[in-house]
Amino acid sequence: MKRLAWIGGFVILAVLPFFLGSYHNDVYRKMLLWVTLALGYNFLFGICGQVAFSHFAFYGIGAYSVVILLFQLGLPLPVAIVLGVVICVVLALVVAIPATRLEGFYLALVTLALAQLFIVVLNEGGNVTGGTGGIANYRLPPIFGWRIAGPAYTVVIVALLAGTLAVLWRLDHSWFGRACRAVRDNPEAAAAMGVDVARTKVIVFTLTSALAGIAGMVYAFVDNTVNPPIFGLENAFLILFMVIVGGAGRHAGAVIGAILLFLLPFWLSPLVGHHHQLVFGALVVAAILLQPKGLIGLWDRFSR
Amino acid sequence: MGSILEVRNLTKRFGGLTAVAGLDFDLREGEILGLIGPNGAGKTTTFNIIAGTYAADHGAIRFAGEPILGLPPHRIARLGIMRTFQHNRPFAGMPVLENVMVGAHVRFSRNVFSRKASSEERTQRERAEALIEFVGLAGLRDADVGTLSFGQGRLLEIARALAGEPRLILFDEPAAGLTAAELERLAGIIRGIAERGIAVLLIEHDMRFLLPLASRVVVLNFGARIAEGTPAEVRSQRAVMEAYLGNAAAL
Repeated sequence: MKRLAWIGGFVILAVLPFFLGSYHNDVYRKMLLWVTLALGYNFLFGICGQVAFSHFAFYGIGAYSVVILLFQLGLPLPVAIVLGVVICVVLALVVAIPATRLEGFYLALVTLALAQLFIVVLNEGGNVTGGTGGIANYRLPPIFGWRIAGPAYTVVIVALLAGTLAVLWRLDHSWFGRACRAVRDNPEAAAAMGVDVARTKVIVFTLTSALAGIAGMVYAFVDNTVNPPIFGLENAFLILFMVIVGGAGRHAGAVIGAILLFLLPFWLSPLVGHHHQLVFGALVVAAILLQPKGLIGLWDRFSR
Repeated sequence: MGSILEVRNLTKRFGGLTAVAGLDFDLREGEILGLIGPNGAGKTTTFNIIAGTYAADHGAIRFAGEPILGLPPHRIARLGIMRTFQHNRPFAGMPVLENVMVGAHVRFSRNVFSRKASSEERTQRERAEALIEFVGLAGLRDADVGTLSFGQGRLLEIARALAGEPRLILFDEPAAGLTAAELERLAGIIRGIAERGIAVLLIEHDMRFLLPLASRVVVLNFGARIAEGTPAEVRSQRAVMEAYLGNAAAL
């Protein structure tokens, strides 16, 4: 019964874009991508307690990888996708293995450096990355002779979201998810219970980074352009804000936070122009000071 | 009965201070062994070496015949040695039941994505519920660990350690900070654990709590063993008790 409700929910999400205009479809699919990213980041930060700023960079690495492999190197789509995932996994391991062996603070520093370095590489990448202008004017190659575009491509994004949630949900509701929370709450006690703390951290970092990379690959064919400003640091912080405002450690919190902070600028812009960042800042400070469990914590309190 | 834990010539120095100096002792299967001694005698250091938190400079530790010295804590837990912490260390973001289920971590063998994963989860949940009842926290299964009293937190530590189905359980000063009523209950629980066939190593300060409970006692001072025997034998060595515990009258 519960399973049917979930499937029904995702079917509605998948059918909805066929009733939206192209502008609203664009807003809708980007919102779904943010929700996907926030779910992955919530597992890393909210459930496993790792503060990293590379999540959005991996989104960019996935996007750039698939575009470069497809159009600069001329590889077929399935090969480009698999290689793109491999690139994300290898990069994540390179960052996580040394960083998680140190105290948590170093992971934050290393991933911040990675996010910065990524932008530099994009800008200085010459013909490979297209430099500051990025790469544009490409199209998703046909899949079995079918060119997926418009609302049909939004269905792909819904599938991405459903797949990401299914994987994370399953992990969270298992001994593995409990081990992650134990690592977050008290690493020393977790180790005494037989949890390999470093290994758990590396697995979670690599998995969520790869999920962000896959989301980035899907994103690459939303606007059919990738360029450095899209993958800037402010978005790395925006994901963190989404998870904190929504409620760290809860899937529903990540979803609510992502939807709210993604849509807020659309409502705020007519009122305050580009100063919506100020409102975000205030929201995050308010969440941390007044409601550390986020909006989902507020919901719990009132529904009880 | 054979020894489940053998400690041989264990030595640990911190700079110029020798915290443990050539310590030898055995823990037999199914017994409750008390490790006692004045402050600074090396009890906690010994405990931390067995649990894998500290490295040793010399010596050997064998658990069920296998050398374990130098293994990290999670490997030692996996072999069947679980511990409690003197200052309770609950997982604050989880309710009581989930805390206990983290203790069962080493008991899970199924792939998270396999079909059998949920039945394994159910089995472990039932075991955890039984352990919560065993330590006397029934009714607090879904409670936030932040709402537990200090004594209840100690009981949670024990249930969590038992969830790993250890062959040996290490208690780090379990009596510290408990009320008289809680101590009585704790003694009953520790006896119950030994009756289940689990070997118990107790590091303890509180003689009135330890002596009636332990089957054997090892007395440490300056990191070395100065006496060993049943509580009655050790108690009769007045000189030892007076010299190293200061207050024999308290016994």
